[in-house]
Amino acid sequence: MDMKRDYYEDIRLLDSGPQVFWIIVLLAALAVFPLFAGSYLIYTVNLMAIHVIVALGLNLLVGYTGQISLGHAGFFAIGAYATLSLMIDAHLPFLVALPLAGFISAGFGFLLGLPALRLEGPYLAIATLGFGLTITQILGRLDFLGGHMGLQSPPLNIFGWLVDSDAERYAVIMPICVFLAWALRNLTKTRVGRAFVAIRDSDIAAECIGVNLTYYKTLAFAVSAFFTGIGGGLMAFVLGFISPHTFNVMVSIMFLAMVVVGGLGSVLGSVMGAVLITWLQQELARIGELPYLGPVLTELSQQFFTLSGLPNVQYVVFGLIMVLIIIFEPLGLYGFWIRTKIYWRTWPF
Amino acid sequence: MKKLLILAAVIAALSVAGAAWAGPVQGVTDTEIKIGQWGPQTGPAALWGAVARGTGVYFDLINAEGGINGRKIKYYMRDDGYNPNRTKAIAKELYENEKIWGFACGVGTSPGMAVMPYIIKNNIPWVGMATGSPHWTQPPKKTIFGVYPLYPDEAQILTSYAIDTLGKKKIAFFYQNDDYGKGGLEGCLRELKKRGMTLAADVPVEVGETDLASHVMKLKKAGADAVIMWVYPKHAAIMLGTSAKLGYRPQWMACSTLSDVALMFKITKGLWKGMIFGNFAELPDSTNKLMLKYHRAQQKYAPKERWGVFFYAGFGFVEPMVEGIKRAGKDLSVDSFVKAMETLKDFQGIMGPITYSAERRQGIKQVFLAKCEPDIMMVKGKKITYGKGKRLSGWLKLD
Amino acid sequence: MLGQLVTSGIAIGATYALMALAMVIIYKTSEVLNFAQGDMAMLSAFVAYMLLSDYGLGFVTSFTIALAFAFALGAFLEFAFLRRAKEPNLLGLIIITLGLEMMLYGVASWRWGADQKDFPFPVSDFEVHQLGGDVVISDLNLVTLGVAFALMILLFLFFRYTKVGVAMKATQQNQQAARLMGIRVGRIMMLTWGMSAVVGACAAFLIASTDTLDPNLMWTPQLKGFSAAVLGGMTSLVGAVLGGFILGVVENLFGGYVSVEFKSVVAFAVIVLILCVKPSGLFAKHYVRKV
Repeated sequence: MDMKRDYYEDIRLLDSGPQVFWIIVLLAALAVFPLFAGSYLIYTVNLMAIHVIVALGLNLLVGYTGQISLGHAGFFAIGAYATLSLMIDAHLPFLVALPLAGFISAGFGFLLGLPALRLEGPYLAIATLGFGLTITQILGRLDFLGGHMGLQSPPLNIFGWLVDSDAERYAVIMPICVFLAWALRNLTKTRVGRAFVAIRDSDIAAECIGVNLTYYKTLAFAVSAFFTGIGGGLMAFVLGFISPHTFNVMVSIMFLAMVVVGGLGSVLGSVMGAVLITWLQQELARIGELPYLGPVLTELSQQFFTLSGLPNVQYVVFGLIMVLIIIFEPLGLYGFWIRTKIYWRTWPF
Repeated sequence: MKKLLILAAVIAALSVAGAAWAGPVQGVTDTEIKIGQWGPQTGPAALWGAVARGTGVYFDLINAEGGINGRKIKYYMRDDGYNPNRTKAIAKELYENEKIWGFACGVGTSPGMAVMPYIIKNNIPWVGMATGSPHWTQPPKKTIFGVYPLYPDEAQILTSYAIDTLGKKKIAFFYQNDDYGKGGLEGCLRELKKRGMTLAADVPVEVGETDLASHVMKLKKAGADAVIMWVYPKHAAIMLGTSAKLGYRPQWMACSTLSDVALMFKITKGLWKGMIFGNFAELPDSTNKLMLKYHRAQQKYAPKERWGVFFYAGFGFVEPMVEGIKRAGKDLSVDSFVKAMETLKDFQGIMGPITYSAERRQGIKQVFLAKCEPDIMMVKGKKITYGKGKRLSGWLKLD
Repeated sequence: MLGQLVTSGIAIGATYALMALAMVIIYKTSEVLNFAQGDMAMLSAFVAYMLLSDYGLGFVTSFTIALAFAFALGAFLEFAFLRRAKEPNLLGLIIITLGLEMMLYGVASWRWGADQKDFPFPVSDFEVHQLGGDVVISDLNLVTLGVAFALMILLFLFFRYTKVGVAMKATQQNQQAARLMGIRVGRIMMLTWGMSAVVGACAAFLIASTDTLDPNLMWTPQLKGFSAAVLGGMTSLVGAVLGGFILGVVENLFGGYVSVEFKSVVAFAVIVLILCVKPSGLFAKHYVRKV
């Protein structure tokens, strides 16, 4: 957007005065939010925050490094199961178990990154898809992880403070989310982030100028898996119960949708994409109850369709929204945002 | 932003009006009781969505007859697509925004498990979950009342029937590789262990699997003469088809989730003939007075619905809840409801005899067995063969 | 048992092969991974079902109309949605096809409900022929195999020897140049999608007759078809079909001898291993990119 005049401007976290102001306002709003909102809304926002974390991780891999992954539900599952089993079996406190689960997930990310060195495009998509499916299968088999019955999450205890309600969980999740967003933004402005972008733009050329593909590609997978693992660990507590079937292929696909619809290669894009898709998932389920549209749809159903199938309209709407966003703005929601900013910047000319 | 403001305004208004609001019990007024249900109306499990719709028609029937003790039931049905995230959100939304009194039925073990801690914490009545998993009632919880007979118990009954009445020697178990299938397997193994026998073959199947040739080969190799199926309709159909093709014909037995005889006969193209299956509710063509009444209600309120087991299960699972509310009388609260429920002894609607007590929250412990026989009916002048269930036993219980 | 497992593997592999063919047709022309494949086919199967049971039309009429519907559906989706995307990248196109898939799923579920239905088919899965020893293969399996091979050969000849086929290959290699050479790229794309939808619909009819007809019918076959296409090479028609057979046989052998639980997982593991050795699949040419 603005021209950067020197290196230090380029790596600055926030670009301008007004941006700092708005970030502070946002953080203040986030801090105060749970005091006003009902438990249902806070629960939805918790889900959004977790999805933001995952979207950030996936965006690092897909948007910044140009890889593709249809198996991120696998890392999500690993993070969730690792956190719970470290807390239940190894009796580690939450604040130790969560990052540790992230690192375990990162280890698996590294493993997935190895075949990724040779593959690209649809071939990589299938390899990651297979990985996602494999993880679910294996987790379902391991009895010490609850097998097919799943695991109940234990009470969450941080230094004596029992985290029981949604508002309290929010107080744990949101700071982690903000921290990780800040960390990712910083990461993209460092040497490592630039190496990722170089790989995305042209990996052969990147190798020619000295970017070690093996190291950076597997690192991208590992960091992405770390983020997703943390998200998974937090999700285990928000849901209260996890089972292998919670982490299926559709979950992976939803993550990918969040990233692409939001905007590849931008932190703000991931946030917007995650918020939008989570909100749509929860709200569209009630489409039959919209004030004006509801009765119209019900009438339509009785005439031409089946009434029992009415809730499926949510899929039609959801799909349509996704398709329209990508058609009209390949850069996703972030693209809309940038366009709006440019428009208003040069208004009224 | 707007939603937040509206929500804040509503909460403020409610808290101001709260003091003057009639009745301290949430979801109950002198004229109304609010009851909610989640269910998979979309997605891979959508065929169980019929349960929630059945409950809706049941409540319509009750309201038409004047409600319970003068209170009409306001029913909230939500789609969770079998996704535990959504189920939890739905439970919160219904309880906190819509202020419902209790939950009815609810399909799915994972979704239910996600919601159970919330229900226990808030002391919400929950009756008739549509799964036979032991999670809900063992150990018993104050406000949670199970109706559906437990999967392990039913499997045990089927196994002992196979051995004692049918004289089968080699029993095999074909099951879905999750909580549901494994529950059945556990019951079968329990019964076999009691008799000092072992399972001839243990064949799990993954949820998305569409090719069962290797599963059939495994069963065939083991030479089992009776196979108990603990899967969903799709797999049952593919299994029977593949087995017929590969020339393997044991005595098939099935779980009560497959008790929709007419549907199963149709989708297996007639191979369902001879299947012996468990039932948790009356057969669709039963002449039981309540069944006829409910069938008439379905024709009146939901004429386009199919009169299948899972639709009228939505009636049966909620019958004890309605009875409990009735017995609690005018002074309805969570505690009076729980006490009233505990007085139910061998209460029977269209399902098995339901009993609760201070320590017992598992309502039904019995199933009856039926066999599929083909029958002919005339539809639009053409002869159609359909599957009918013939009762083989009374309500069997475990000793 | 080995013989039966292999035979069944080839039988089921034929259905994977058809789905893989459908995917490869589109990929050969535009490098798009079409996730809507399965549901386009499923919708056509439902249309056929509707014609067969509600309108009482005969098999040949119903199937022909349903295939025509499939063609129209494919062409329409390409025209209305894919073409409108401005400078899309691979991921954007994947998301568009995913969105389309959801829409089609929603429409089918809305119209027909979620109950399982049985799909009548003229060829029975129960009439079997003995192949020697204990091994059987049913009429339906033979028909599926026949259709798979016939389509493979037809498409192969089409792409290599007809003008339209060559035009399609040109469009994939360089769209701009193709346009400059006078190829009507828009029409080619519509034709491609239509053809792919027809092949998918054939697969759906065959699968629906062994399985039950419901909106989730094609999800797993689509994934398996996709895997088979990747295994065989996304730009090779022959590879897609052979990939389907290999996948079916490997899965069945593993399921029969080792463990039924991990059947699909092993299939993916095998695919990944093969991809490590041959990154573009077994039968496709590996183009080395230049900077």
